Amino acid sequence: MKRAWPALPVTLLALSFAIGGAQQSPNPSADSVAIIGAKAYVQPGESPIEDATILVVKGRIQAVGVGLAVPAGMRSIDAKGRMVTPGLMNSASQLGLVETGTPDTSDSAVVTGPFGASFDVQYALNPNSTLLPVARADGLTRVMVVPTGSATPPFDGSGAVLRLSEGSDILDLPQAAVVAEVGGMVVPKSGGSRGAQWMLIRSALDAAQRRMATASSAHKENSDTDKSTLLSTSNIEALVPVLKSKIPLVIVAYRESDLRQAVSLVDDYKIRVVIIGADEGWRVADLLASHKIPVVLNPYASTPATYDQIGARLDNAALLDRAGVVISFKAAFVHVSYNAGIAIREGAGIAVANGLPWPHALKALTVNPAETWGITAHYGTLQPGEDADLVIWDGDPLEPMSAPALVLIRGRQVSLETRQTDLEKRYRPDRAGDSEPPGYR
Amino acid sequence: MMMRELTKSDLCNPVHRVPRLHGALLSCVLLSCLGALVFPARSPAAVASPSHAPALPDPYPSTYKPLPRSDMLIDNATVFDGIGHRLLHAGVLLHDGKIISVGSNLHAPEGTKTIDAHGGFVTPGLIDVHSHLGDFAAPFTLQDAKVSDVNEESSPNSAEVWALHSIRVQDPQFARVRIGGVTTLQVLPGSDDLFGGRGVVLKNVPAVTVQEMEFPGAMPSLKMACGENPKYTFGEKGQFPSSEMGNVAGYRQAWIEATEYKRRWDGYYAKHDPNLAPPARDLKLETLTAVLRNQILVVMHCYRADEMAVMMDVAKEFGYQITAFHHAVEAYKIVPLLKENHVCVAVWADWWGFKVEAYDGIRSNAAFVDAGGGCVMLHSDATISAEHLPLDAALTIGAAHRAGIDISEEHAIEWLTINPARSLHLDEQIGSLEPGKNADVVVWSGDPFSVYTRASIVIIDGAIVYDRNDPGRQATSDFEVGQPAIERPR
Repeated sequence: MKRAWPALPVTLLALSFAIGGAQQSPNPSADSVAIIGAKAYVQPGESPIEDATILVVKGRIQAVGVGLAVPAGMRSIDAKGRMVTPGLMNSASQLGLVETGTPDTSDSAVVTGPFGASFDVQYALNPNSTLLPVARADGLTRVMVVPTGSATPPFDGSGAVLRLSEGSDILDLPQAAVVAEVGGMVVPKSGGSRGAQWMLIRSALDAAQRRMATASSAHKENSDTDKSTLLSTSNIEALVPVLKSKIPLVIVAYRESDLRQAVSLVDDYKIRVVIIGADEGWRVADLLASHKIPVVLNPYASTPATYDQIGARLDNAALLDRAGVVISFKAAFVHVSYNAGIAIREGAGIAVANGLPWPHALKALTVNPAETWGITAHYGTLQPGEDADLVIWDGDPLEPMSAPALVLIRGRQVSLETRQTDLEKRYRPDRAGDSEPPGYR
Repeated sequence: MMMRELTKSDLCNPVHRVPRLHGALLSCVLLSCLGALVFPARSPAAVASPSHAPALPDPYPSTYKPLPRSDMLIDNATVFDGIGHRLLHAGVLLHDGKIISVGSNLHAPEGTKTIDAHGGFVTPGLIDVHSHLGDFAAPFTLQDAKVSDVNEESSPNSAEVWALHSIRVQDPQFARVRIGGVTTLQVLPGSDDLFGGRGVVLKNVPAVTVQEMEFPGAMPSLKMACGENPKYTFGEKGQFPSSEMGNVAGYRQAWIEATEYKRRWDGYYAKHDPNLAPPARDLKLETLTAVLRNQILVVMHCYRADEMAVMMDVAKEFGYQITAFHHAVEAYKIVPLLKENHVCVAVWADWWGFKVEAYDGIRSNAAFVDAGGGCVMLHSDATISAEHLPLDAALTIGAAHRAGIDISEEHAIEWLTINPARSLHLDEQIGSLEPGKNADVVVWSGDPFSVYTRASIVIIDGAIVYDRNDPGRQATSDFEVGQPAIERPR
């Protein structure tokens, strides 16, 4: 059943790019390829195009449509009717910052010293982490990496978007957001009341406002007499992009009262806010939607894990989505980073099992995180002009049995081999009787 | 802190939390181990003690009573019977809390309630051999982060404690896991100690006391732990043990003491003299001695292959059997050795890397053990996994397929049913849909290995304990009563 792709602009773009692309890329190149026979989810949330051809030139989607001519000499991969989606994005992880959980390989949190909002994870990223290939092999191609602790509560520092390309070039968008964390489990760090957490956030935002006013005036003297770490020059300057609405302020919070406090920051400071957590978000879904606050949620959350999460329920994703909140996914626990791909795929499936429409689940794995973290210009769909992050799936990507058959990141096919698959080869059951030790395999 | 999304583990090992937020938290979750497939004895009563020792005392006996029930015919289903079969267009007939028959064209006697599965699936009730529900109860608090009920951390040998005595029956997680089809769970102490204490098998029924949940006649277990957790828990406090070799010395010293204690009591029993004063009791050594008498099953939290190999030799040295290694992320490296020692493993599908000893975890672990002829179970450790246990099996099936090993769903369900039943020595009562067994049954809306499937009906001993379509059969804990955060806002 071939269907015409309904979006006219795509078709037009496809034609124009196709011609130019063929002329510019006469030779096969590593980041130019045609995917044919795809069930292409070009715009997640909308119907796929059956039997589509996707032309990738120099790392970008050049054209998508039915019956497109593949330029001579371009490598062609037959998807054989299988689902092809944009590469997936995890919206809150520590990929690239953690390896074994020991302090020498854990760079996600600064717990002593002068840093607060100014801590920046970008300088710690490890492209050779063994966690990255595992995430790639699960179809993850982008990830928002956020810090997880603070020397100056409630501010954890700034997070960064990664692209999971092979090689060292993984930093997609540094300083994508500033993260603050509130709630009962971190109350002692702020003196003993969550009231103090919100007051500290507000006083830091106030100080940043004063700094902006000072900076724009003739006299650039520092009007802040408070020399606390919270209000240090670097920590306050890190909040200026938040106040200018260039990047969002992330609030990690679960309880309804904290979500309402986050909403009031939008009212009072006219800033963009993103919530990570929001187990009780369904209780204030309309408010979050009207204040355009995206939510990054853990789709597995079902229990009152803490007193901040008493209202947790498995249809939180469905209820937020129905209200018009832009949702995306994170995982919990071991799965935050070590299984950052499969956990959000399966988690999205659980959200679907609890009422989230499947097309919206795909959005929550692609375009929604792109929108939340400000990278829609180059990632999130298979529309022409976007980076060619795409996955050919061997089944439904939300099913735990499924896996990618092929992954492209910025047009390059990446290996699906991981340290785990290498170990599996070494210890295959049919080798149990080998006389040589596994170390020689 | 994203990581602060604690499931139990998170809190269980505060010692490790501060600097290493990641694996750290997990370190204790990974808490324990129990279960196994060694089949040494069918039940405590069946264990012959060479020294005329009496049966293991049961001072906190089960008061479990099945919930009100009616005879039922569940029909129009695909049945995974738990022992390797997939029956199409089939059903299960339940009478007086037992399974009467399984198959097609079953005849329901007069008065039998009929449940149409509408083409869904039916499996045995799932069995989770590694749970901390109740002893790592929700909601977790900052107090729990300092001192929790899952680990007794005053001594690396806490063999005297019983998980039973920590269990908070009103833990709301019991109901969440029931909705996931788990009808039987083994609740264990954590893994911060060399000897963590006794575990207990529970029926996942709503109750007011833990005795009302205790599985009648089930053998207790002793939780032991290898590796990083005991070493760091005590070593970082400057106490013993502070190394892996210290761990092993700690086990051996304790077994030497237990052997001597057993000898004293065997001598006392052999004299049959009621006027003779018995030797002094010691709670730690009572538990260890009961292990040496095969009255308590040993479940051991271990990750690495080399550690497991050493522990199997320790067991031989002192004459006990390890029923199962729990977590066992490197089980795939030593499948023949596990088989030779009749030790089962209970594993996660995909947990890896969060600590050094988990770095070599692979997704085909369960499948490789199975394909190599070993015994394997899937366990939860954390509630999020226990709510979706069949999905862990699905993940393993998929990974194994890509590694060249095909495992059928009707076989993989055994990892959650008959294998853990054998490990608990309860396979004559639960673990499969066979005539005469307890009517522990789950009706699923579809293939249980699909993420879109949910349990429709959960039955324990012939009583419906959960029905997705009947609000009257959806038990909640007392904790959830009167909580404004749970009710829908007006």
